[in-house]
Amino acid sequence: MLKGKLKLDVTDLDNFEYDMSKCIKCKGCTWVDHIYMPGMTFSTRCPSATKYLFDSYGAYGKMRIGTAMLEGRMEYSDELLKILYACTLCGACDVGCKRNLDLEIELTLEALRIKAVKDGKGPMPQHKKVAQHIAEKHNRLGSPHANRNKWLPKDVKPAEKADVLYFVGCSAAYTSPEIAQATAKILNASKTPFMLMPDEWCCGNILYSVGMADEARELAKRNVEEVRKTGAKTLLLSCAEGYRMWKVDYPKLLNISTDELGFKVVHLVEFVDELIKKGSLKLKKKVNLRLTYHDSCSLSRLSEPWTPWEGERGEWGMVSPRLERRRGTNGVYQQPRDILQAIPGVELVEMIRMKENAFCCGAGRGTREAFPDFASWAAKERLQEVKAIGAQAIVATCPFCKENFAQAVSKDGEKIKVFDISEIILAAI
Amino acid sequence: MAISKEAYKDLEAIVGKEYISSDPVVCEGYRSGPGGYECGLGYERVMTKIPGGIIMPRTTQEVQKIVKACNRYKVPYVPYSTGWYGPRSHCHVDDELLVDLKRMDGFEIDDKHLYATVESGVIYSQLQEEAMKRGCYIIVGGGGSQCSAIANMLGDGWSPLSYRIGLPHRRILGTELVLPDGEVVKMGSLATGEDYFWGEGPGPDLRGLLRGFTGLRGCLGIVTKMAIKLLPFQPERLVPTGISPHTTLELPVKRVKWINFTMPSKDSMKKAMFEMAKAEIGGGATKVPIFWRAIAKATCKEDFWDIWSQESEDSIANFHLLRVLLIAFTCEEQMDYEEKILNEIITELGGEARRTRPSDESWFKNADSAGMWLMCGSYVSVDYVIETLEHAIPHGENYAKLKPKYTPPLMPDYGDPGWFQSFELGHQGYSEFLVYWDPDINTDGVDHFYLETSKENIRKRFYTSLLGPHQPLYLTGPAYGPNYHTWLLKVKDEFDPQFICHPPVPLAHDAFVDKAEWMRPMKDWESPEIPGS
Amino acid sequence: MNRRDKLVKIVGVENFTDDPKALETYAKDFSLQPAGVPDYAVKPKDTQEVQKIIQVANDHSLPVVPVSSWVHFYGATIPKKGGIILDLTRMNRIFEVDDFNRRVRFEAGVTWEQLTSHLAENGFRVMLPLLPHPQRSVLTDTLEREVITNTVYDYGEPLQSMEVVWPNGEVFRTGSASVMGYPDSPSKGANPAGPGLDFYRFLQMAQGTMGVVTWANLKTEYLTQKDKMFLAPVKDLNMVMEFLYRILRIRIGQECLLLNNTDLAAIMAADMKKDFASLRSSLPPWTLILVISGHYRNPEGKIQYEEKTLNEIIKNEFPEISFSDNLPGLPGSGEKLLGILRKPWPKEITYWKNRYKGGCHSLFFITKPTLAPKFVEKMESLASRHGYPEGDLGGYIQPIEHNRACQIEFNLFYDPASRPEVERVRTLASEAAKTLLDQGALFTRPYGELAKLVYDRANGYAVTLKRVKKLFDPKNIMNPGNLCF
Repeated sequence: MLKGKLKLDVTDLDNFEYDMSKCIKCKGCTWVDHIYMPGMTFSTRCPSATKYLFDSYGAYGKMRIGTAMLEGRMEYSDELLKILYACTLCGACDVGCKRNLDLEIELTLEALRIKAVKDGKGPMPQHKKVAQHIAEKHNRLGSPHANRNKWLPKDVKPAEKADVLYFVGCSAAYTSPEIAQATAKILNASKTPFMLMPDEWCCGNILYSVGMADEARELAKRNVEEVRKTGAKTLLLSCAEGYRMWKVDYPKLLNISTDELGFKVVHLVEFVDELIKKGSLKLKKKVNLRLTYHDSCSLSRLSEPWTPWEGERGEWGMVSPRLERRRGTNGVYQQPRDILQAIPGVELVEMIRMKENAFCCGAGRGTREAFPDFASWAAKERLQEVKAIGAQAIVATCPFCKENFAQAVSKDGEKIKVFDISEIILAAI
Repeated sequence: MAISKEAYKDLEAIVGKEYISSDPVVCEGYRSGPGGYECGLGYERVMTKIPGGIIMPRTTQEVQKIVKACNRYKVPYVPYSTGWYGPRSHCHVDDELLVDLKRMDGFEIDDKHLYATVESGVIYSQLQEEAMKRGCYIIVGGGGSQCSAIANMLGDGWSPLSYRIGLPHRRILGTELVLPDGEVVKMGSLATGEDYFWGEGPGPDLRGLLRGFTGLRGCLGIVTKMAIKLLPFQPERLVPTGISPHTTLELPVKRVKWINFTMPSKDSMKKAMFEMAKAEIGGGATKVPIFWRAIAKATCKEDFWDIWSQESEDSIANFHLLRVLLIAFTCEEQMDYEEKILNEIITELGGEARRTRPSDESWFKNADSAGMWLMCGSYVSVDYVIETLEHAIPHGENYAKLKPKYTPPLMPDYGDPGWFQSFELGHQGYSEFLVYWDPDINTDGVDHFYLETSKENIRKRFYTSLLGPHQPLYLTGPAYGPNYHTWLLKVKDEFDPQFICHPPVPLAHDAFVDKAEWMRPMKDWESPEIPGS
Repeated sequence: MNRRDKLVKIVGVENFTDDPKALETYAKDFSLQPAGVPDYAVKPKDTQEVQKIIQVANDHSLPVVPVSSWVHFYGATIPKKGGIILDLTRMNRIFEVDDFNRRVRFEAGVTWEQLTSHLAENGFRVMLPLLPHPQRSVLTDTLEREVITNTVYDYGEPLQSMEVVWPNGEVFRTGSASVMGYPDSPSKGANPAGPGLDFYRFLQMAQGTMGVVTWANLKTEYLTQKDKMFLAPVKDLNMVMEFLYRILRIRIGQECLLLNNTDLAAIMAADMKKDFASLRSSLPPWTLILVISGHYRNPEGKIQYEEKTLNEIIKNEFPEISFSDNLPGLPGSGEKLLGILRKPWPKEITYWKNRYKGGCHSLFFITKPTLAPKFVEKMESLASRHGYPEGDLGGYIQPIEHNRACQIEFNLFYDPASRPEVERVRTLASEAAKTLLDQGALFTRPYGELAKLVYDRANGYAVTLKRVKKLFDPKNIMNPGNLCF
């Protein structure tokens, strides 16, 4: 819709016709913000455009392809699906574009996938398998649902009722239990009582991310209702992907604002940062490590709260009512850094591409499932940066990041250590 | 009819399967519009096509082989670094091969001898950062830091920093050009050696084939490698700060400083630039058009229009903001010295300094061109001319007089007479006239205005950058030189006898006028039959 | 009408000659190039006459050799295949001095002496190469890319737009002078670029082979308000090169050059017979000449901060450099030298290159400054091998644009009346050119025999150049036999 009624509703690609048609091909979606451009190396922040090189793989190419899809000029093919799905939806393009313009690139990319699913062409076969796992076993891995809480260490007792509900997520529950264990122990150590979901199901991050909006919505409704039933005031996560799903995409799917969820969604780093600043948690143990912090996309540039919007677009492309766009400015950037710098012995060395310029690990939002080589490549690219700055370890805030980096490290025999921030925090307590 | 199988096979053998595609989805991604520079206009709609195939070479040798193969199989092709310059950088005919140069990102820097050698895939912000790390700087052309340095050095290459480090033609050194017939010509020091450090000769200078003021849009070959002059800067770091969208370079104010001055009149701005040049101070001196300030202040498009709607013809006519850059190249004392002189000049002319942020968002690493689309989603510069200040000021005023006839669809600008600045320490002046329109309404008026400005330049004897491929060649040709077009076409014919290098450029705008029925009434000049019409 | 009559009709009988004696003037010059005799010499008064002459030349396939002055050092204007000498010395008008835009427009026949004195009256100057001959054409020297002594980037490439008569007889204006009706236009001709192609580049260093440039616009600069001369003796060229990398990079100085004792003595000697030998032996092997200048406002302030920074650098990094304001043992020499540098060579004194022995062959090329000492050493050794007296080798190193590069010029002095000396210089120059080229010297201005050497090496470039030339001059009437044509 170039002019007329308009909604920020990803289930109808028509809402993003204007955005697709106004891409100026400046590749702000691909390059690191020019102000921060580090030179000839580490110059880009779009993994898809960097790996696949053809314009079509960058957001600037996808906007043109999207216009053709909307206008019925594009037939589905394997290549089209690859272009739509070999992308981590990391939001670098969205933030890069919004430095200068008012185009909703991320939402357009989400809408394109939703359209592909609606048209019966998407998602990728590997995603369909994940969907099946979620439907049958309430986790993306297809592991037994009954084992979901097996991660719980014996010395940690969740409360029956508490203000804080720790949403563990499939990754920490099944494949990276050390993250869940560390999180639980941190909460314990800070004397924060916490609940678990009586029956925790997958958050549906992959369902939504690959365009299965209806399935994701159903899961969202169920999960939100379950949390409300517990009376939790705060939903705490130690998984950036899950965090984004709850904080941003659930409200988006349910057509409500983040505030209207009925509970706060926080990441462990936000919680811990507040505790440290209040004095309720002291990180006294030395952790002698020269480490770097990787800004997980869903916690950083994609994490601003969601507010639904509908209105009209008129003259000069102006919208009314006024729309406060999510430009990645207020993502969770500083809190993890403050935490790490508060730990004695830690030497925090920043990545060359940091904060909103971070280069995605390559794993999230269905990418690793369908394009494992691409995910592996992206991780290796990021690890080159770690080497370039001479860090011994990389710390992330998401099990997707951790697992992907760890896999890349072990494949290549690198000496870089890979941690989740929960492990570092725990080691300092 | 696609690119023939035989041709495709040969091309694939040059670069490997991974770097060539004729897949329709991949090709669609290379469509020129509908958004972008000069996009959504008639030229883009009528003259551009999606490629028949895309190929991505890595080396000059590969480029040469590709060009030779194209000649062998008569495959039209267009060189493409970033595609930023809009429709004129994209395919114009069916089954054309787009030669995407982004893999050619070779880079070497010799800061001792003040030059960097780049390939076509290197962009300005990369080059600028590498230069600044080493105490040098370049001009990031107004096209923006996302431009290929080579492509922009061929067609643009200036900014307010040209006040000091001037005309882009002076900053091109050893260059490698693959001619349309596949021969490679190495210019400057490359002609007799391997070093790129020198641009001239030997003897007559074949760099004359590269630009012709604002470039030939790739219709006379592919530049694969070029050495670009670095200029000495100062040693302190410009520190990147802030989070998107408010990122900026913090300036080391003892060495680098912007100062904004309100001046009582346009004439006083002109005089200030003159006096600065006479005193030989400054690193940049430019008028600031009021709508740039509105863009800089605006948090979104709607905010821009709130700010802009407060303006009037009166406020525009009386707004005279001069922005001056001081660079203490030699030592900190130079800053004091120059600032005192500058203040003296401004006081003499009745101006006043305004509080100015000690930062740069716009000209060192991030030429602010992407922001030009904020207001309307469209933009083109109908001229951007280097001549003198005495040419620059009336040139803009003249366009401003012409513009109301085409407003709408052009954006109302209350008679803004365009942007001007001082160049080459006052030896030259610059004017640029930027226009915007609502791309989602009938834009024929913009096409008409664009052509009308060319005619106006001819009528009023202004120089213009929109020569060669930018306007109808048979219109501008007889009026400049005279008959520069005959030489250009002779050269084109000599080196591209099959007319396969970016056809039908340099006659593309001629073809557009012939093809588009809303343009035909504007044709009041003679021309032979135009290929591609 | 035969071709002779046609030419007479165009310029008038008083501006035409085919008298062999008169034509001898054009047959040779100060170079070692063999003589070449033209068939005619004509002196047009304006562009229209030039145009008509070219048309006659085309009709009769007659070579045309444009000549802007009567002083030539490189053999470029010696006709290689006869033809018409197009003597432009009558075309010596200075059209306008544009104060506001710092520009001067003038014809091909305007000399350095004429232009510099005219501009000085108005408070302006043009950037000079080292001591240009006062009777040489400014336009020609600029087109031929004579390197200026000022190392500041801002002053470089002063050439702006031009008028040219193409080999087909068409008049054409380049750059922003290409607008219709120029100079009666808002365009002042300040932009050299375009239209359509950068024609000005084809005309640079073309030695008249691409067309006849009849007038040009050139950037002018204000006269400096205050100057300070710094002179330093130099024994270690390597060290001084590093010094120049350091100071020129931070924009200290205006004119900056190095002259060896032979060249400097030839320039400074009041009386060659009395002073040259002793001056040469008393001067250090090389002298670094650096001028710091102040401009229109607070000139002292500029000199002050540059000098302060210079001294700090010397103190902390280059203590071996010792500047003074005069040459050793020569009070007042600094001021004298500054005066010399700022003007063309005085016409009443034999040109400095010819003062010593009468003849001088200059071999000059571009290189990176760090390589200069190596080239100097090489040349000295070659000179010695050829029996050329080492003390007689003139040396001049000119840093270019903040020392990004430099031009090295070796001056080989000889007595033109002495056949052995002439031959020695000829063979030395020939071998030196080849050796230096092999070692990476960049000869961008290939005069005479150098052309073959250079274009054999730059074969690809030459092929393309010929293709371009053919478009402009299909009959090859413009100064054939020069460059690679």
